[in-house]
Amino acid sequence: MPEDDLADEASHLTIDGDNPNGDDIGFAAKRLAHEARKTLSSGGGSRGIRDVTQEFAAAAKLLQPGQLVKDEYFTLFEAVGALEIMDPKMDSGYVPPGDTLEPDFDVCKGLPAEQVLWIMDELLRLTAVWHDGYPLSQTIFTSLHVDRLLSPDNRPPYHLFYGDTALLVMTTEQRLVHIVLRAYCIALVKSCALVLHTIQSQNFYEEEDFVTHLFGRELLPSTGANDAVKLIDEAVKFLDGADVDKVMRTALLERLQFARTYISLLVSDSADWNTLAAMGRSAETHKLAQPILEAFSDKVQRQLATSTPPRPMIIISWDEALERWKAICADIVEADRLTCFDVCQSPHALHRAIWAFAYREPQPNTFARAYLQTILFASEQITEGMAFFDLMLTDMRDLVLAGDVLVDPHSFLVEIPSDPRHKCSRIVETFMDKAFDEYMNLYRMVCQNRCRIRRTFTQSVAIFDSLETEAMRTDAELDGITPGIVLAGEDGPGNVTLTPLTSWVKYYKLQTMAWTIQLGFETDIYLPHELSMMYWYLMVFARRERKLLEHIERFLAARQKTFVSSRDARQDDEAAASQEWLAVLHKQADFTALLSSALWQVSELLMTLCILQPAKRDYAQEQLLYDVRMKSYLGIAHDPIPTLEEYKSATQSDRSIEDTCNNINGTIADAKSCLAYMKKTTPEQGKYIGTGEQWKREIKQLETTCVAVAVQTSQLRRVADKHGKLLGAPRDQSLKGAVEVSIPPAGSRYHDWWVVPQIREKKT
Amino acid sequence: MHSIRTSPLSRQRGNGMADGEANPHSVQAVQYLDDLLNKTLHLHITDGRMFVGQLKCTDNERNIILAMTHEYRQPSQADVKLAAERHEKGGFAGNVKVDMRKRFLGLVVVPGQYIEKMEVEG
Repeated sequence: MPEDDLADEASHLTIDGDNPNGDDIGFAAKRLAHEARKTLSSGGGSRGIRDVTQEFAAAAKLLQPGQLVKDEYFTLFEAVGALEIMDPKMDSGYVPPGDTLEPDFDVCKGLPAEQVLWIMDELLRLTAVWHDGYPLSQTIFTSLHVDRLLSPDNRPPYHLFYGDTALLVMTTEQRLVHIVLRAYCIALVKSCALVLHTIQSQNFYEEEDFVTHLFGRELLPSTGANDAVKLIDEAVKFLDGADVDKVMRTALLERLQFARTYISLLVSDSADWNTLAAMGRSAETHKLAQPILEAFSDKVQRQLATSTPPRPMIIISWDEALERWKAICADIVEADRLTCFDVCQSPHALHRAIWAFAYREPQPNTFARAYLQTILFASEQITEGMAFFDLMLTDMRDLVLAGDVLVDPHSFLVEIPSDPRHKCSRIVETFMDKAFDEYMNLYRMVCQNRCRIRRTFTQSVAIFDSLETEAMRTDAELDGITPGIVLAGEDGPGNVTLTPLTSWVKYYKLQTMAWTIQLGFETDIYLPHELSMMYWYLMVFARRERKLLEHIERFLAARQKTFVSSRDARQDDEAAASQEWLAVLHKQADFTALLSSALWQVSELLMTLCILQPAKRDYAQEQLLYDVRMKSYLGIAHDPIPTLEEYKSATQSDRSIEDTCNNINGTIADAKSCLAYMKKTTPEQGKYIGTGEQWKREIKQLETTCVAVAVQTSQLRRVADKHGKLLGAPRDQSLKGAVEVSIPPAGSRYHDWWVVPQIREKKT
Repeated sequence: MHSIRTSPLSRQRGNGMADGEANPHSVQAVQYLDDLLNKTLHLHITDGRMFVGQLKCTDNERNIILAMTHEYRQPSQADVKLAAERHEKGGFAGNVKVDMRKRFLGLVVVPGQYIEKMEVEG
């Protein structure tokens, strides 16, 4: 029987292997096969319908109260998500007694200009809300005019009236609806389709960032963006000669122009979104609009395909909506600026630019972030003349191999197979292929929402670690063909080589590890008593990064000595630029290590003095908590992270409070001098071309953070002194009850990546 | 997200009697209902709507859980008029066919008290 074949095939949908996901997939396949078998097993294969009302009722009555007859794979957990029919809170199709299924509003009737204006402004407002991520069913689809245009009963060319009831002789008010409002609605709907296309072509997270659900409707598929623009132009022509009040005409023309500009911008690649922002300012005429609330209704949800309960229409004020539009335009304009040709020449500058974009206030919405991703990733290259391959190669060159023939673009063009440059280039290319995805993720993932950036980077850590294995193997292979410089070991006897690819991967691994902790502070995932440990680990990661940079700098200096003076200046320039930049990176790693050291000491002191304590947990075990918290880092094979024991033995609880405070102040002073150095760095040296403002602003925030740490430390010192505990070992002291501490939440810190505990003396 | 509320199914209390202690009629009833699981049911409810979906679960109050459910409504007067107009305009012969309005809902539970008629496909 054909049905059995299908069911049999479904049952073969297993994936072998003992992997953890294998069980889930095997289970799902079994369930699918089971359901398929049951659904398809119809006696004789005819699709008839049998009335079983009486039989079923009789059978059901014989069940015990509470007894269920259910499919063996169907869980009650799933049942909780079922929509309860006839319950007004869950059933979007429920019509209360006395109410009608459809709203009682004739979308074909003519409306005065003031009301048409109000509807157009309302749609503008709802489009702004939709951009924020609210579903269409609660925003644009609540417009009854839009609902009629999109109705499954409607046909191209999508008029508000159906069939033959065309109004051949229309009044001005009717024309305002059928020509002006219709054109406007069609343009906005097509704009939605274009926005959705942009968002869905790139990385985003459904429901978290945006809701793309169309609720079973199509967005006027037979009408293109150009058709929509034509309709707007016809509407403009009509309005110019229409019998409408002059002020009203201007207002309506403004709205039409807005819709026309909006859709034109979405269609063209290179257009200025500032023109759209400029229109927002001329929205003074909104006051002239006359509300007509009946033109919008949440009853449309009764006819939309939706697996969710009924949801309310979203309310934000007109001014708020205008602010949203301005922000969208500003974000798009900034995205274009941050990815200009000059910025894209330097991978690191581009990287900084993307982070700067992500940290704009307010945070750019899903469409703006998708727009940025489109600029970078939609074509085969980052920018004119800079393919992804070039970007990656430049990154390696800038960071570890400035002036080295290994990553000289010309080496890749050598065709003679016996030439070592040819051999090495092929090997480097193979490695770059393997590292490509994760490397590009460094750019792409910063375009996601903050929590996802952190989560993706915790996964990247493991991938970079395994890439490191690959890099080590590749470095050895390269060294066999073209031996690199050998220097004396940095610590201990023996010699070392640069191992460039390994160093390159290691740098990004360590950088990503530091970012996951920093983002963890920003997204508030650490409890107050975990601050100490997380700052200590951040310090360790930053110190390792600094050591790695020193290693790279040594070899750069050695390489520079080998440059033949007769060669072109390009090599020297490249190496000099790299040297300056590495110095800046070194200072940055230094700063991170110093500030996290200071904050580690502060938090630790607060813990030892019993001011900051974890809640009482009878069943918590230190090692288990540690394993859960540090899970992403525990699997690292190359340079594994210090263990819990090593962290604990780093505590300084036998040093007096006074000594600790002095040490913290000294550390902060060193940190400040790092900032002073970075302040004097030029955009070329620090590779922050295009993000100069953000660079300066961040340094200021970090300076303030340093001062805050010093202030809190002196606060603590003062209270300790008052209680005569300044000189004893903290282990034997307790300031519990004398001091209270508060942890500022993200958003109210000087810099969201640094948590400075606020210390206050408790009034006795 | 909707808040957790008691579904018709969870409102019931077991009276302590195990399945095995049921009488032979009850065993037969369970078998009958079990055979209907995963079959496509058409449920007609008191407000005129029809729900078509796969039977997943039922109980002694005849509450029904359906998966992959579509909701059908009788066409309105306006729907009939529009269909007739298009039929005429298109120059078709014979009777006018008016489709019921249909939309996809997913997983639903229909309380037994609202079920007027129940049909099974196949």
